Amino acid sequence: MSDPYAGRSPAPAHAWLHHLNPLAKLGAVLPAMVLLLFVRDLATPIAFLALAYAVVLSGTRLTARIWAVLLLAIPGGVLVLSLSMALWTDPAQVAATPVVLRIGGWTLYTGALAAGLATGLRLAAILALALISGLTTTGPDLVRAGVQQLRIPYRFGYTALAAYRFVPRFGYELGVIRTAHRVRGTHGGHGPFARIARGWGYIVPLLASAIRHAERVALAMDSRAFGAHPVRTERHQVPFRTRDVVFLVLMLAASAAVFTLFFPWRL
Amino acid sequence: MHAAPLLSVRDLMITHRGASGPAVQDVSFDVHAGEVVLLLGPSGSGKSTLALALSGLIPHSLDAAVAGTVTVCGHDAATTPIATLSSVVSTVFQDPDAQIITGSVLDDAAFALENLRLPVSEVLSRAEAALRRMGLWERRTDNPDRLSGGGKQRLAIASALATGSPVLILDEPTANLDPQGTADVHAALADIAGSEGRAIILVEHDLDAALEIATRAIVLDDSGRVVFDGPARRILREHAEEILALGAWLPAAALVARRLRAAGIPIEPLPLTATELREALASQPDTVARAAQSAPPAQSAHPALVAAPIITARGLAVARRRTPVLHDIDLDIEAASITAVIGPNGAGKTTLVQALAGVLAPSRGRVVVDGIDPSAASARTRLLSGRGEPAGPAHIGFVFQNPEHQFIAHTVFDELAHGLRLRRTPPAEIAQRVGRMLQRFRLVDKADVHPFLLSGGEKRRLSVGTALITRPRILVLDEPTFGQDRARAEELLALFHELRAEGTTILLVTHDMDLVIRHASHTVLVDDGRVIASGPTSELVRDAMIPLPETYLAVPPGLRVLLGDHAVRGSSDVQTTVEPES
Repeated sequence: MSDPYAGRSPAPAHAWLHHLNPLAKLGAVLPAMVLLLFVRDLATPIAFLALAYAVVLSGTRLTARIWAVLLLAIPGGVLVLSLSMALWTDPAQVAATPVVLRIGGWTLYTGALAAGLATGLRLAAILALALISGLTTTGPDLVRAGVQQLRIPYRFGYTALAAYRFVPRFGYELGVIRTAHRVRGTHGGHGPFARIARGWGYIVPLLASAIRHAERVALAMDSRAFGAHPVRTERHQVPFRTRDVVFLVLMLAASAAVFTLFFPWRL
Repeated sequence: MHAAPLLSVRDLMITHRGASGPAVQDVSFDVHAGEVVLLLGPSGSGKSTLALALSGLIPHSLDAAVAGTVTVCGHDAATTPIATLSSVVSTVFQDPDAQIITGSVLDDAAFALENLRLPVSEVLSRAEAALRRMGLWERRTDNPDRLSGGGKQRLAIASALATGSPVLILDEPTANLDPQGTADVHAALADIAGSEGRAIILVEHDLDAALEIATRAIVLDDSGRVVFDGPARRILREHAEEILALGAWLPAAALVARRLRAAGIPIEPLPLTATELREALASQPDTVARAAQSAPPAQSAHPALVAAPIITARGLAVARRRTPVLHDIDLDIEAASITAVIGPNGAGKTTLVQALAGVLAPSRGRVVVDGIDPSAASARTRLLSGRGEPAGPAHIGFVFQNPEHQFIAHTVFDELAHGLRLRRTPPAEIAQRVGRMLQRFRLVDKADVHPFLLSGGEKRRLSVGTALITRPRILVLDEPTFGQDRARAEELLALFHELRAEGTTILLVTHDMDLVIRHASHTVLVDDGRVIASGPTSELVRDAMIPLPETYLAVPPGLRVLLGDHAVRGSSDVQTTVEPES
């Protein structure tokens, strides 16, 4: 389980994305991500892929893992998705396009391939845009920005953050419960139904322990005056500076330009 | 003391919602600056409830009917907002993991201060001072998850110190820790006790360490009433028998002295520390010499067992998620022994017993249990549940650390019957055997209750019962006495001896060195995924692989045989070499 709080060393100055306000990064890509859902052509997602890659490559502290995601995982995903979507496409709708492959009575048209590729690229573009903020923002910073700029009550933000801690704990706990139930020789049998029955048996102990743990954490937070005042001291300021405005405006302008250029986004 | 008390409790009565009777009643006392109050009582005596009421969490955060008053530094706890209260009273809870809220050690120490809206510069200076005091400043940027259990509790104490609140409440702060972590926390507490006009309320069952700092003891009985209140040492000395009868713990030296008294050596007054015990014995050399002469000769507690070991591991290695946890283990577990597996947290104790019992499949090496190799899944199932061989006995009963984890039925009766039903035992026999088990574990009137609604002690008994119902030849338990009060722990240990006499092998993981010395015939010492030593406990004690607790060292070697403990019996001939160092 990765550490949501990973105490990384401060990013170097050239990794400029890390130094932007999390809300600016989110706001810069969200409109494009939503609009991309309605795009059906190839050029628009390719343009956004290029934009996102350019931003990520120039402004992120690149690790081997990020390189692997950018160069292997995303292209591989596009390929697999394109091919499988091409097989799903209704041949009757693309029968007018040239034939690529014919096996027995089954025909693969260029149109189907293009439709598949469009879907694959679209999803890849959305993911790549999400990486701009996802790779360079930590959970606590996003919460702080939300509290400081969007005026989200800190009770919600910090409680959500505290709940982060529960995830690895419950993963571990579930493992122990499964082992314990196996030892008791519970619900033998294979197949989906036996599995569901088994899973049901894990819920009561897991819930009991989850509720108890949540109560304890809540008590510990209460006893430390959490929520006692409408605001709390914020040691880490996450300022919204000129550069955040510049980034936001530039990204929105670039998105608008791409969308205008390739309108009506059809194949 | 004439100054106003920091804490004042008057006629307090607390009844939890849905409870049949009050958890705490008729409680009145004052606590002044500089006092360290030890709160004692058996489980269910309302110690934790009282601790929550003193910090105002009852009734502010937990709903309960409260009568009477709690006043902290002049504030009425029931009506003062929690924000005001949290700067006069702080609490450190039992579970280290449930007290970490933020992502770094520094943020956690600053959490309360930020909530109290202190200016940034003051937040930082106070947090720094508190972390330095607890020796955690160097680790301020670490994720608190990376601290040891003792480290997490010191962080919780630092967070409390940072608020500068004069009243500090600690509710079993060491109950979840290994001996190293416990020592760590006690050292931290000793450092802050009595300083800066602070008052400390400590709920703790490790009395040996607590007595070094406690100035006063308040003892609650199982109906939540104060039975004794006074100077800690005097209360424990004068009311030891009553406190024992309540089911609460006594200092180890007092327990040893009681056993020596029973063997005819008058030790007055009751010693509370190893030093007092040593002095009491040294002051009457004649009686000690006479008792040592008439004591039965030291004999090996274990006539060489020629029987083959019941569990054998050779070259055993276990990995979890590709991380090696156990390396190259060769180990024999003696049949009909009580074998304790000890070692620091994270050493691999639980993994070891799980691998020996076939709960986990080894990644390398071989385990043979009673002639069966549990590495094949089907053999494992048969070994653990006894399924597939209706007539033969199941071989292993396994009890997990948290009883709730292994409950699968909706009533106590079904829980006990489960193992038998899997083995297709006739219903009439099931009813009979379950009935006997209910009786043995005093659960008869709980037969129709949901297992999750039992008390902590009842859950533990039920989980042992479910493992015993199929009459296993081997019973494996992961920290069976964890969180149990003295009466309940003793009861379990008596049961283990009973089972052992019937020929059952008991294999248990524990942190309790007193349990090891007194009850384990064999001990396996694990550290860093390897077996450091294993063998009869007496031999390990003799070879100084297991250090004898101080209390035992305080007893002259000739008398140790009177303590009736296996390990000490074996150790008596060499103790002269260990003795002079003290």
